[in-house]
This record gives sequence, structure tokens and C-alpha cells, in this order.
Amino acid sequence: MRVVLSNSAGVPLYQQIKEQVGTAILSGELAEGSALPSVRALARDLRISIITTTRAYADLAAEGFIATVPGKGAYVLPLDSALVREQLLRQVEDGLQAALDAARRAGLQREDLIEILDGLIHAEQDAVR
Amino acid sequence: MSSELAFSLRGVGAAVSGSFALRDVSFELPTGYVMGLMGANGAGKTTAIRCLLGMRGFETGEIELLGHRVPGPVALRQDVGVVLHRTYFVGDWRLAEVERALRPFYDRWDRARYRQLLADFGLDLRARVKDLSRGMAVKLMIAVALSHQARLLVFDEPTSGLDPATRDELAGIIGDFLLDEGHSVLFSTHITSDLDRIGDYLTLIHEGRIAATGTKDEILDAYRVVRGGPDDLSEPVGVQLIGLRRTPAGTQALVRTGEAGLLSGDVLVEAPTLEEIAVHIGARANRRDPHPGASGGTSRRPRPDVGRQDRGSSMSARETA
Amino acid sequence: MTAIARVAVLNLRTIAPYRSQGLVLLGVAVLLGARSPVLVLPALGLLAAPIAAYPFNVADKAGLETLYSLLPVTRRCVLYGHYAWAMASYLAAVAVGAALAFPLARVEAVPFTGRTFLTMLTLAWALFAVNVAIQFPLLIRFGYTRVSVLATTVPLALLFFIIVKLDLTIGSVQIWLPLLWAAGLAAMAASAAVAITTDRKRLRYGKPERDDPTGTNQRLE
Repeated sequence: MRVVLSNSAGVPLYQQIKEQVGTAILSGELAEGSALPSVRALARDLRISIITTTRAYADLAAEGFIATVPGKGAYVLPLDSALVREQLLRQVEDGLQAALDAARRAGLQREDLIEILDGLIHAEQDAVR
Repeated sequence: MSSELAFSLRGVGAAVSGSFALRDVSFELPTGYVMGLMGANGAGKTTAIRCLLGMRGFETGEIELLGHRVPGPVALRQDVGVVLHRTYFVGDWRLAEVERALRPFYDRWDRARYRQLLADFGLDLRARVKDLSRGMAVKLMIAVALSHQARLLVFDEPTSGLDPATRDELAGIIGDFLLDEGHSVLFSTHITSDLDRIGDYLTLIHEGRIAATGTKDEILDAYRVVRGGPDDLSEPVGVQLIGLRRTPAGTQALVRTGEAGLLSGDVLVEAPTLEEIAVHIGARANRRDPHPGASGGTSRRPRPDVGRQDRGSSMSARETA
Repeated sequence: MTAIARVAVLNLRTIAPYRSQGLVLLGVAVLLGARSPVLVLPALGLLAAPIAAYPFNVADKAGLETLYSLLPVTRRCVLYGHYAWAMASYLAAVAVGAALAFPLARVEAVPFTGRTFLTMLTLAWALFAVNVAIQFPLLIRFGYTRVSVLATTVPLALLFFIIVKLDLTIGSVQIWLPLLWAAGLAAMAASAAVAITTDRKRLRYGKPERDDPTGTNQRLE
């Protein structure tokens, strides 16, 4: 597991951990079932407080990314769990909303948006091929 | 409840000398966490630690350590390891002799652990105590504490005089110790960068009184730092300016978060760093204000007793909890 | 009891690095014994007192008072441990004295009977006990640096040699022997009681501390 903390990001440390671990799980970098260091080991390794890592793990658990085993550690939950799916859906919605806002300012119509989306999907498929 | 606390001090008062005393000192640490005890030189950190460890008496209040009232059974000291700014071993002892001298006193002394720790810390069994550097001496005291399997480690300014690399190593050693949820750490310091990262709880002590205690986030949330021009922040209503510093270039002070809204427009209000909190709280009596008349009262230098009463009423011991 | 023994052993370990200096004292005893084997025992009794006090010197420099207050032993055990250590150093000193005196007497062809031995043992005890009984409460309360150990040892040494010069015959001391043993023991017991009483003021709960001569509470920040 890779966590890089920034002192100057203006983002609380627990949130940085949460976001980075969450991203790693969503990207598949951390596979289902893989073990995460315990809250205390992570605090030691990052030289941060136990309360901070506890909070990050608690948030990750609440969002369905990981499960914590008291006294042992934590492991990555299957990605298709409903909570994570909901999480992803929310991200999609947020992204599309942002696109919609930009489109309105640019004066784009529904057809234009769908065209752009199709274009992006095709480009991605081409890239994969 | 008490078994979940590594220790607690409640309303502790102890007269040290004619002019200095701990007054109504209360703070506590849940088992399994790290607390930083922060304050300027002479603020009462060491006195509080000595009271906690039963190394000196106290007149009022009560102290609980690992579930026992202090002064408690002497066996309690089996569970406590103490790291002070100088060693309390004979300078001419070799590290092997340190073990031979101390081992008989401890029920759970682990010889293999002592040797392993010395090796891990890069300490030679044949070295003499007096030849150890500051960092090595700290590590020796930690090795002793871990070898008798202490559950609570108490450090009195462990990082003063240590280089950054050794400080980081110390943070790692403390982190290792805390892998066990039954272990707790208290350390006093006036260097805030060390606490900034590994401290779970913080207690700020100033002139023998507790200025604030709570989790680190609670403390950080409780204050705001305000900055303004040289003429700003004069006599604000309902706002206590903590450690006001007025120079020809500008003015800076600490305020309680709840009062920050009462400040008039032209000042910059920001979340403080621990360093800034420490500086302003520590500065409250030491700093001589160049313009006492314009200082809004808080940074004027009243007679010590008056000052203490003032602080006592305005800063309750557990205001952030 | 075992805690007291542990503190006594800790005192031995405290001065262990300086054992070579003890050999010098032993050399002095041998030189003296070569002149007068009979006097070896009382001389060693006299020398044992500064040796018994020496851990206080090392403790002062190394901050061992802090160690005593952190070790899992009661303060009372620490104090009794100091006295147990003193008794042990007397026994060691007279054991060495006996081991020296008998062969030296034989070599010098000086008569050295069991009765003389007992007398000298008693003298050694009296000299040692008076020394320690006076010094220890002061050392415990004020520390080594503020109490000159020589303050009691030197006058006693002078007294001892005056007695010798007066040619006090061994026979004339005989009747006093039981009294000397008892007086030494009483002095030691009284000394321990005084040490514990005065020491109690160091650490006090619930009442203001007025004075703190050991300075432990001043070395705070």
C-alpha cells in the first residue's frame, strides 16, 4: 500500500489517507481481500497519530471499501458491494453534473453532449485495442 | 472507566517554591494513545510528571496511574518506564552492568529483549553510560523500560538535543511500542513539530495551570490566529487576545474560535499551527509589550498572583473537551 | 526482605566500577598490619565506614536518587537497604581483616589469641557503627556532596590512635566488650530510625512542603 502525505495540501491527513487508499482500491491497485496494515502500524510507518489513521480507516469502512478486524488489521472488501457501487454512481453523477454545468455555459445541446460522450467511449475503446 | 485510562490527574495542586506551584491541574490519557505535554520552560511539565510518577508529593487533587491511586502500590512501577533528559545510571557502568544492576528489581525482566533492543538501537553492551551521546542515552532508557515490559512510557523532553534523524527514529520506536493497544505514552516537549504528527492528545500547560487539553484536533479547532495592521486589534469587545504581539509592522494574537467572529473586519483569521498556539499561550506573561496602554489588557504584565487569577477564570482547565 | 537485599546489592554494583580504589585501602591495611597485626581489624573497621558511604557519592553524581524513586521498591526498603549494605561492608571488612591479621601475626611472631581477636573485632565494630550511625542519616537527607564523610571519620581515627598511644591494654577493654557491641547496635538502630523520620519529609502528600534540602524538587525544569 502506498500513501504519500502532503503537509501543505491543506487537506487533513486522515482525508489524504482515505482518498489515496480509496483510489487504490477503485483502480484495482489494491485487490479484493488484500490486507492493509493495522491502524497502529500505519500510524507508526507514517509517523502520524493513531487517532488520524483510525479515523481514515473508519471512514473507509463506512464507505464499504474495507473491513477492519479489531486487534488485527483491515482488508479490502469486494468492489461490487452495494456501498461502493453507490459511491461510484455518485462520482459518475458528480462528474456528469460538472460536465452539464460546463455545457450550459458553452451553450451545448443534449445531442452535442451525447456525441462527446460517444466520442470519449470510442477513443477509450481504441486505446484499449 | 478508570481501567481505560492510562492515567488521570484531577485538580492537582503542588507547591514547588514560594513563587511557583501547580494549580488545579487536570488532564487524562486513554490507554493506547500518545499525549504530548506542551509548555515553555518552567511551565510545570516536569513537576506534573513527577507528581504523576509519585516522585514528589502533591497537596490537593487526586492522581490515578494505570488504575491505581497515587501514591499506590510500589509494584505499579513495574509497569512504568521513564526517560528523562539525563540518565539515572552510574556513569561508569557498562551497558551490561546496567542490566545486571536493574534486573533483580523487575519481575518480568527479559534479558533477550534487552540485548536485542541494544543491538537494534546500535548500542554496545560494553559501552559505558557516560560515553553515550544524548540520543543513545535516550535509547538506553527506552531499552530498559521495554525490557521490564512497561505499559506506560513517560518521556521528559526526549527530543531536546536530538538531531532530526534520531527524533524520527524515536517516533518509530514509540510507534512500535504502541502497536500493543495496552501501551500508552506521555511525553513533555517544547518542540511542537514532534507532537504535530504523532501526538493523539495534547495538554498545554502554562505557569502551573492547564491552558488546554484534549485531542490534537480539538485543540487546533479551539483557537484561531488573527493578524492585522499595527493599529488593529485594539480593545476588541468580548474577545480575549492571547499572547498579543504588536510590532510596527503588524499585530498578531491567538483568540478562541468562538470569539473570532466578534473581531471587526480588517483582520486575517486563520487556523493556527500548534507552534503558533504554543508561542501565544507561552508568551502571555513572558513577553513585555512595547505599548502596554494599547494592548487591550491581556498582554500587560500584572502582578503574578493577579495574572494567575485572571487566567484561572478565563481559561478553564478543560475548555476544549 | 528480598527488596532490602536487592538495594544492598545495588549499592555494591554502584561502587563496583571503582573497586581498584578499594585495593588501595587494602594496601594501606596490609602496611599497617605489617607494623602491628593486632591493629588491622580496627583499622579496617574504620576504613569500612567511608566504603559504606561511597555509594552515596556515586549516587549524587549519577542521579541515583531518581533511579531509587523509579524502581519498584518502597522508600523504606531503599533506606533499610543502605543500612544492610553498611552491615555487609563491615562483615566483609572484618573478614578481610581476619584473613590478614592471623597470617601477619604468625609471620611477625606476635601473639594473636582468640580473645585478642574478639576484642579487636569489637573495637572495629564500635568504630564502624559510630561512624555509620552518624553519617548515614546526614547522607540520606542531604546527599554526599553536602556532607563531608571525613567529618566523623577523622576525629574517630584520631581518638582511636590516641587510645592506642595511651597504651590501653587489651585486658582493660575486656569488660566493656558486651557494652560496645550493644552500643554499636543501638546506635545503628537509632540512626535508621532517624533516617526514616527525616526522610519522610522529602515526599509528602496532602500538606505543603516547607523545605527540600536534598534539592530534588528544585531540579525540576
